[in-house]
Amino acid sequence: MNTRSISFRLVAWYAGWLAAIFVLLCALLYLDLRHFLESDLRESQLRRAHQIGDALLAHVKQSGEAYVASQAKDWYEPEVNDRFIRITRADGTLVYAPGMPHDGSFDPAQVSISSSSKTESFTKYVLPGKKTLLVASLNFKSAGNPDYFVEFGQLLDPVDSMLNHLLLQLMLGLPLAVIIITCGGYLLVRRALTPVEQITRAAERITQHNLSERLPIAQTGDEMERLSVSLNRMIARLDDAFQNSKRFVADASHELRTPLTILRGELESMAEDLRVDAEWRERAASMLEEAVHLSKIVEQLFTLSRLDAGEARAEWSRFDLSELAKTTADQLSLLAEDKGISISCDAGQPMPVEGDRVRLKQVIVNLLDNAIKYTPKNGGIKLRVHGVNGHVVLEVEDNGIGIPADALLHVFERFYRVDQMRADGSESAGLGLSIVKSICAAHGAEVEATSVPAHGSCFRVTLPLSKG
Amino acid sequence: MRILLAEDEKKVADIIVRGLKAERFAVDICPDGQAAWETAEAYDYDLIILDLMLPKLSGTEVLEKIRRKNQHVPILILTARDAMADKVKNFEAGADDYLTKPFAFAELLVRIKALLRRGPVNRSSVLRVADLEIDRLSQNVRRGGKKIDLTAKEYSLLEYLATHPGRVFSRTMIIEHVWDQSFQGLTNIVDVYVRHLREKVDDASPVKLLRTVRGVGYSLNDEVQA
Repeated sequence: MNTRSISFRLVAWYAGWLAAIFVLLCALLYLDLRHFLESDLRESQLRRAHQIGDALLAHVKQSGEAYVASQAKDWYEPEVNDRFIRITRADGTLVYAPGMPHDGSFDPAQVSISSSSKTESFTKYVLPGKKTLLVASLNFKSAGNPDYFVEFGQLLDPVDSMLNHLLLQLMLGLPLAVIIITCGGYLLVRRALTPVEQITRAAERITQHNLSERLPIAQTGDEMERLSVSLNRMIARLDDAFQNSKRFVADASHELRTPLTILRGELESMAEDLRVDAEWRERAASMLEEAVHLSKIVEQLFTLSRLDAGEARAEWSRFDLSELAKTTADQLSLLAEDKGISISCDAGQPMPVEGDRVRLKQVIVNLLDNAIKYTPKNGGIKLRVHGVNGHVVLEVEDNGIGIPADALLHVFERFYRVDQMRADGSESAGLGLSIVKSICAAHGAEVEATSVPAHGSCFRVTLPLSKG
Repeated sequence: MRILLAEDEKKVADIIVRGLKAERFAVDICPDGQAAWETAEAYDYDLIILDLMLPKLSGTEVLEKIRRKNQHVPILILTARDAMADKVKNFEAGADDYLTKPFAFAELLVRIKALLRRGPVNRSSVLRVADLEIDRLSQNVRRGGKKIDLTAKEYSLLEYLATHPGRVFSRTMIIEHVWDQSFQGLTNIVDVYVRHLREKVDDASPVKLLRTVRGVGYSLNDEVQA
């Protein structure tokens, strides 16, 4: 999971805050309930202590202590109800103490006798077995009677188990709630980010070849709409810049033709003119060579700019790429043999494709010519044409010097040369592979290069198979 | 021989005129399409060189007008555009050859000479140059009666050179005829084939027929050199 993503951070903040608020609320609920239940228990214990005092001890003179004890036992049945009742005289001697509760939950004898001077007080006794006994003590005084100390208590067990149950519920419920909230939050964030996703996908599809396309506008009237509108404006500016540069290349290569003609003509006549000094003739010839090289570059740039502008498809026809590959390899085989390189052509099956035959032939010629240039003596070049699910794959593989990995990304760029060592003579301007790429793009084909330095390179063109 | 040159770029026109005059051609220059059409109508030329981008009347329009009156005068088109569609359009309008700027003057000269001397195409089934014999039907080649085995491309190249013995063919012309325009820029392919052809045709014989014309191209020589 990407922890830096906006959706993750949004959901994390949101779930974190909600979880904190929930925990706080639950803690408050728990503490408040515990306080309420305990104080309720205290009140009821004290009330009962008062009952014993008011109803029995106030008349102890008439009824006698034994009656008080038996009545207290009869009323509250402490052994049955797990209650604790103890009545002591002011000197600490017992009037009444209950026996063991029937379920043996606690031993009343273990409850020490307290001697609080206050009229009303509460004590919590922690008994063996982690049981807590809440005892309300009452210093009972009434006119004409001796003072008594009435203690009335009850185990906190029911309260504790209730609170524990609540705690358990909260412990289970809280993570569940947080999970549900997180999932819901995630879905909401995803929903909110869907337009961004759509814009991204549309933007991914835009390359230099379809800059006239625009992104869908999210009609939301908010940041999303502004984002898509600004992106579209940016694409329009890019489109403009691209068109300008293409027009520039086309115009420049066109405008350079006339001055180049003049330059070549003058240098040619100078190089041939026997009245001119031999050294100057040599210089003119050298300049002429450069002018011819320049003409070739202009020629190739012009070809590229025409391909960029989207050449008319009038020249398109349906033909067999295997047959074209075979004849082209055959026509170039002597050029390869001259360098001691063999070209083997593996193109058995007819592969009908649709396109400009001359241009696609140029692709094969350029790739083979390139392979011949960069393969040393006694090397071999393999030209393969085969079908792969609805596509034709044309491969030119050599066992030459190869292309370093960092250069491989750039080989199709204009004027890119792998390094000065490879540029043999003045023939190559670094435009051959750009032309290959442009022709492929015009045919909806892909071209890619793979290479192992010192072992060879492979150029692969993937063309759609003609369905007709 | 009289040539009409319709070219608005003065410097380009100067170079062509200078070169052609050195070759003893008489040249008239027209700087625009209207003048070119009027001059071509008024005088009789052996060849017309037309630039396509002319003021007043475009080269294609001049070409069409001339062709309506005169079917025979060879017309060579000079252009700064080399789009295939343009080429086809102008050939259909009656152009005889087509040269894209920038060009080598030697190339222009070779093409002019080819157009002027074009004459009837040698359609006979056997071409003979000195003791070389090319049988076009069986594609058999013999030198001094001895059979020479040639590949298909080598044969096409030799046959093309043999159509006009003594005439110089530029590398570009050879590529255009024997290969196709996909091979343009690969002019060394011609050199490689000529070398192989030499090994087969000339090596065994004291008389060398295949001649290199420096800076221009090749020709098949029919006159015995000293």
